[in-house]
Amino acid sequence: MIAGRDTLPGDNVLATVHRVWPRRTAIGGLVASAGGLLLFGPRPSDDVPAGRVILDYWEKWTGAEGEAMRLLVDEFNRTQDTIYVRYLAINSIDQKAMIAIAGGSPPDVIGLWNFNVPSYAEAGALLPLDDLAASAGLSRERYADAVWPLLTHEGRQWSMISTCGSLALYLNLDVLESAGIDPASTPRTLDDLDEMNERIIERSSDGKLERMGFLHTEPGWWSWIWGYHFGGSLLDSTGAPTADAPKNVAAYEWVRSYPERFGSRELLAFQSGLGFYGTAQYPFLTGKVASVVQGPWMANLINAFAPSLRYRAVPIPVDVGELDAAAPVGLIDGDVLVIPKGAKHPEASFEFITWLQERARLERLAAAHGKNTPLRETSTGFVENHSNGSIAVHNALASSPRAFVFPRTSVWPRYVSEFDAAFQGLWLGEQTPRAMLSGIQQTMVREIAKERGGRRRREQSAS
Amino acid sequence: MTTRRPGTVINLLWVTPWLVGLVLFFLLPMGMSFYYSLTDYSMLEVPLWIAFDNYAALFGDSVFWLAVRNTLIYAAISIPLAAIVSLGIAGLLDTDHPVSHVVRVLVFAPTVVPLVAAAMIWLWLFNSDHGLINAGLSWVGVNGPNWLQERGWAMAALIVMSLWSVGQAVVIYLAALQDVPSALVDAASIDGLGPVRRFVSVVLPTIAPAVVFNTIIQTITAWQVFATPYIMTEGGPDRSTYFYSHYLYDQAFLFQNMGYASALGWVQLLLITACIAVPYVMVRKFGGGP
Repeated sequence: MIAGRDTLPGDNVLATVHRVWPRRTAIGGLVASAGGLLLFGPRPSDDVPAGRVILDYWEKWTGAEGEAMRLLVDEFNRTQDTIYVRYLAINSIDQKAMIAIAGGSPPDVIGLWNFNVPSYAEAGALLPLDDLAASAGLSRERYADAVWPLLTHEGRQWSMISTCGSLALYLNLDVLESAGIDPASTPRTLDDLDEMNERIIERSSDGKLERMGFLHTEPGWWSWIWGYHFGGSLLDSTGAPTADAPKNVAAYEWVRSYPERFGSRELLAFQSGLGFYGTAQYPFLTGKVASVVQGPWMANLINAFAPSLRYRAVPIPVDVGELDAAAPVGLIDGDVLVIPKGAKHPEASFEFITWLQERARLERLAAAHGKNTPLRETSTGFVENHSNGSIAVHNALASSPRAFVFPRTSVWPRYVSEFDAAFQGLWLGEQTPRAMLSGIQQTMVREIAKERGGRRRREQSAS
Repeated sequence: MTTRRPGTVINLLWVTPWLVGLVLFFLLPMGMSFYYSLTDYSMLEVPLWIAFDNYAALFGDSVFWLAVRNTLIYAAISIPLAAIVSLGIAGLLDTDHPVSHVVRVLVFAPTVVPLVAAAMIWLWLFNSDHGLINAGLSWVGVNGPNWLQERGWAMAALIVMSLWSVGQAVVIYLAALQDVPSALVDAASIDGLGPVRRFVSVVLPTIAPAVVFNTIIQTITAWQVFATPYIMTEGGPDRSTYFYSHYLYDQAFLFQNMGYASALGWVQLLLITACIAVPYVMVRKFGGGP
């Protein structure tokens, strides 16, 4: 500003320009950005061919497992001229699927966890597949014995299998040999396992645990299975909980014997120094824990981080009274494909699922995931070419009459949550097995009664 | 006859996007959540009206009471502890020394670290075998506990970790301390008041609004604590660090009881309101407050 003058001619014009221009510039900038986004912004990466029915398929597996499924989807799309599958691998699938179904905009096919099936089925969120499966010739006889229960709930079929894995005991043969144990004489009963553990244990000069033969909490993903290895179960035939049945109590007495024998604090200190699954520090790979309960995918971890490690899988040992070599006991876990209610193209969706059920494709998927086959019969090359040298053990478990699956109840997430919490109390020596299981039983009786009450109310309301 | 001030319509138009957001993403979900809290709703089925059954069921739910108890213990220890630590740090930094400017940045820096990343760091710090904390304790001859696996210690570990994000409160306390009139403090000194009495009788009443504000924010944060225990202890051992928000999350997304979870959410709002009313009323009653 010039000294001595307050204003100049044209100052008002300049003020107006200064006031208006920034606003016009901002609006112009916004419009230009919006136009630029519309013209040059991101586009869907799928190059969807015109004239095809488009199926949206959400799968829970990400990473290498998700890529294995993507390869199959790509192959399906190449062989098709009427259907195109748009594949999306996402995590937390059960939550996202639930929100999509609730919002009335579900995908056409969802790859769920098998334990999701009961709650989704009871809520009427899935399309029953009995008729479609029967017309496609996908009968029970085609699948390994333990696989069929994964697909059904309350007498109806709600899903088809994609992959499955049975749990076994993995033994680090190098550690066994270093402890003077003949790798051929693997444990068959829990007494054998305890004995093996005793022989493998190593302590430091100050008495700290340095190596163990077996540890229930490694990896501790299945805190609820031990009753089954004593001949117990968690639900009776009516769907009522049986957590505190005597055989389950006996099983958790055996679990408690470890913290009693070695001390909870010592075990916790030992555990805290162990590496996570999925890393080279996983204690089975480093030899800190000589045997772990795991599925057949374990071979992928071994091949990735310790390819020279010598291992073998055997059925998880059972209580001595339950020993029957011809009928091993083990959990069968599985990934299933479902068609949600409200899917836009159910027939086309089932056509895609049927295509996946062909033996060569299921075996390709199983091999890529490092899993056993879900089918009753395997091709000759499947076992020989599998990356897991013990895959035959897993196949046999899937066909065993004593194989078991996640209890088929819609309140299973609560059941397992109760088990996980109470197991920690047991491990800390804060409660007895009887008290632990009695607490779980009371909670689950209440939860199942609540769930059944809700279902009755719903039926009355509908009628 | 009413008169409309010029520009009212234009002004309303400018705030319309915010109003639409407020209604669509805040008021409507709140209303729907209250409705769902009165229903049996799993998200996969249509909500079934059950009136106040979900609220009544809370009274008989032992896990609900356990989660309330754990959260109250966490809040009752972490809030005063955070107040003492943050006020202490603010007091130390209330100088013009150049080093204090650097330290202010260092104290505030952890608050910009994502919670998940911070939790992973603390997970290793608390590791009983390889963790720095137990290594430090062993140098002075103390055999450190299994921080995250033992009842009691796990809660203590989470409370210690809550001090990680104390920087925000420090900044607010520092600003408040710098507003305390030096004349008042000098007068109190001349009157013969010692440092403790000066702080209690002069400084504290002056910074009371900042104390109330920080206490309210920390109370809300404590009641909503979720990410760190979810990552570091998963609520264990044996649910000893199972907090209210974790239980709410499990009921909603794991157990698929969205109606019950909504009731939990509304009760949480009431509990938080009750808790923040306490410091507010106390300050109003005893003076110095906003």
